[in-house]
Amino acid sequence: MEPLLISKREKRRLASQYADLCLTCGTCAGGCPVTGVDGLDVRKVVRLALLGMDQEVIDSKFPWVCTLCGRCEHACPMNIDLTALLRSARAMRPRDQVPGVLHKGVAQCLKSGNNVGIPKEDFLFLLEDLAAELGEELPGFEVPVDKKGAKYLFTINSKEPFAEPEDMFFWWRILYAAKESWTVTSENWEGVNWGLFTGDDAAMKEIVGRVVKNYKEMECEYLVLPE
Amino acid sequence: MSIHDLLKQYLEEGRIKVDKSIHHELTTYHDPCNYGRKSERMFGHGYYEEPRWVAQQCCENFVDMYPNRANNFCCGAGGGAWAAPYVEERTFYGRTKAKQIKDTGAKLLIAPCHNCRDMIMKSLRKEYDFMDVEVKYLWELVADSLVIEPREEEGEAEEE
Repeated sequence: MEPLLISKREKRRLASQYADLCLTCGTCAGGCPVTGVDGLDVRKVVRLALLGMDQEVIDSKFPWVCTLCGRCEHACPMNIDLTALLRSARAMRPRDQVPGVLHKGVAQCLKSGNNVGIPKEDFLFLLEDLAAELGEELPGFEVPVDKKGAKYLFTINSKEPFAEPEDMFFWWRILYAAKESWTVTSENWEGVNWGLFTGDDAAMKEIVGRVVKNYKEMECEYLVLPE
Repeated sequence: MSIHDLLKQYLEEGRIKVDKSIHHELTTYHDPCNYGRKSERMFGHGYYEEPRWVAQQCCENFVDMYPNRANNFCCGAGGGAWAAPYVEERTFYGRTKAKQIKDTGAKLLIAPCHNCRDMIMKSLRKEYDFMDVEVKYLWELVADSLVIEPREEEGEAEEE
């Protein structure tokens, strides 16, 4: 058997440039609620990465039960980018093996502009309907759609129009009370970006780019993502 | 712009008025990883104090969990885990969060993140038996505390 040389960089795509600073102290794993799940923990993942055993990490479910919360790297005495390392392992999974609905959401967002595929006309109808409902309580309330030159552009978490539409009232009440100048866009209004979770940088960039494009076209001063 | 800065600004400038007596129960605050630790690492500022200040304008009795701020535990559903199929694992993950919440004795929990709110409200409360704790978004807390002044004149002015 060939010895595993840590100088063989091509074998260690996962080991970030800092991972070899690991002192193996285990502080990362010590403070992590999922240490031991799937037989792994953060410290072991770093060891596997350093030994070039990338595939074992990529194939395990550990990078997905890890919530990328960053508590480990906050505590790491060597300041190793542990969440970047784990997210890279997610990125190296073939897209059809990304667990659950995450990649489907990304693909849907790229296709339709939101994670759950709400058509534009349904979205606009819903906003109008809800605005009328809230307007009964707050006279003159309306949801400004595609209002150029508004001060704030708000994105929307697709979960709300999809499943909990009345939760949008919370922000709407505040904006009404503050007499704020704000708007939402009729397209690409999704504020959730699952590319962050699946390690899909290209999709993430595309989705962020659309929001930024809206922000520029609407000539808004600030962009607010109530996420 | 962060929602924390915006809410704080509205309150500081007096653009919105709130009545904190509406929420008299003991209230605690969950630090989402993204607004705290990760914001601090990525952008050099963690939103720890702003949401606490906003929450305390809207509730009379506030208590922090332990540990908190940068040392806070994740709800268990971060990084897409809420949408991933590993339900058992994320519920197991959430045991530390559930204990933190229950240890405060609070009856109202504020979470300024969709993901954390859903995990705590829809999963952890049931699994770890604290259905008596109400869960609200930070902006929900503010919206529910609002004292909205009549605005008929402006409503008419806008229509003209």
